[in-house]
Amino acid sequence: MAISLDDSRVLIVDDNEFNRKSLSMLLLRSGISNLEFAVDGVDGLAKVDMFRPDLILLDVDMPNMDGLEMCQRLRASALHSDLPILFQTALDSDEEQVACFKAGGNDFISKPIKPGECVARVRHQLERRKLFNDLTAFRERVEKELRHAHAMQMSLLPEPRKVAAIGLAHGLDISSHFETSSELGGDLWSVFELDEHRVGILIVDFAGHGITAAINTFRLHTLFERIPAKDLDPAEWLGALNASLKDVLPTGQFATAFYCILDKRTDVLTFSGAGAPNPILCEGDTLTLLDSAGMLLGISRRAKYHTQQVTLPPGGFLVLYSDALIECRDALGVPFGQDAVMETVRAIVDDRPADPVQALLQPFLSRIARPFRDDLTLIWVGRR
Amino acid sequence: MEFQARNLADAIEARLTGRLEFTAHDRLRDIVALLDAPNLRRFVVDVSGLDFIDSAGLGMILILQEEAEQKNIKLVVRGPRDDVKRSIDLAKIGEIVSIEY
Repeated sequence: MAISLDDSRVLIVDDNEFNRKSLSMLLLRSGISNLEFAVDGVDGLAKVDMFRPDLILLDVDMPNMDGLEMCQRLRASALHSDLPILFQTALDSDEEQVACFKAGGNDFISKPIKPGECVARVRHQLERRKLFNDLTAFRERVEKELRHAHAMQMSLLPEPRKVAAIGLAHGLDISSHFETSSELGGDLWSVFELDEHRVGILIVDFAGHGITAAINTFRLHTLFERIPAKDLDPAEWLGALNASLKDVLPTGQFATAFYCILDKRTDVLTFSGAGAPNPILCEGDTLTLLDSAGMLLGISRRAKYHTQQVTLPPGGFLVLYSDALIECRDALGVPFGQDAVMETVRAIVDDRPADPVQALLQPFLSRIARPFRDDLTLIWVGRR
Repeated sequence: MEFQARNLADAIEARLTGRLEFTAHDRLRDIVALLDAPNLRRFVVDVSGLDFIDSAGLGMILILQEEAEQKNIKLVVRGPRDDVKRSIDLAKIGEIVSIEY
């Protein structure tokens, strides 16, 4: 790979004018034209600050401050700890060469200078630095963009203020935990008011995680506006979302989902599933796993979804979660598992902790180490 | 995930073992390549040796289905059990792909 070194800057530090000139001729001929010169270590340190070189060709024996000391001083500064420094030395004893490396030099060239070798070593150091800098810049840019994208993804989730307002208006305690396995994830959930009596709750998990899955959560979120849930029953709404997703998702990309409507007048929970993990319903002291089987969203236009009903009276609750909660594995490779989730919820029924989501999360976190392998979403909906 | 392929009288059979999840994507290409065999009409994916399948794994089965359909090959997924069967049933994969239990 040919890397252009047009913009590379080289500082030549040598007390001998003839050496400075012959080195500069060599570099100019090889296409490195951004050059600066210094006559000793003291001058060299000043020029480093002014010129900001990408590489220093450094003589060892010089008046005022020699090359070894100048190199040590540069290495002591965090600013110049990675600056490539090539010693040029007439002293070719083993001891002298070791001294160059000890002082922090990257490499050395023996005098008399052999033109081919000199240019090759300079190019090698400059190219390495350039690749490294490019990579660092790329990494910083991607990290920054991912941070922004993460913030955007969080903004897809229901605002805490809105959740609290719905809770107040409908007598619900709604709390949640949302955690992506990397900067971006494929989970999404939503809660919204359908009318003064009914609240809709949706949990979705796009296959995979990371950027592709996250983009799909944005795709889906725009559908919430385009396909109002207001006049549709759960199966109809999932069917409509499915048809729109099928148009845009490539094969192999899809989502699991569960959508339900809670009507506080009738205590009826109407729901439909698209392959999401079985939600847990608690009525009195009885825990039930709801049937969430259904064709994944975005796979087939022919998919049919089915609406079912259960009662969820005051005092009861509903737990929705993504598959990470049951599938994430501990250090021994054992998944947390559906049984452990049920046990934990059972304990919550008995203990009635103030923060059920934390109580549900705690046993999971004590067994499963971060980073999780998949995105984790937990939603708790309790009726007051 | 590991797999072994063998020729049956009227089909090719790929026997999958281990865990069919995101990391298996590289192997998927090798399985898809099996569909290029001349005059192939039936392709059996034996999943009885699979211990686990996640949503990415389900996606791979659907990709295989689409590839097979385009080549006019009948895809059959055979023998899912335990967690794998539960996942396939939960997602109603059977409405798209022929499953032999």
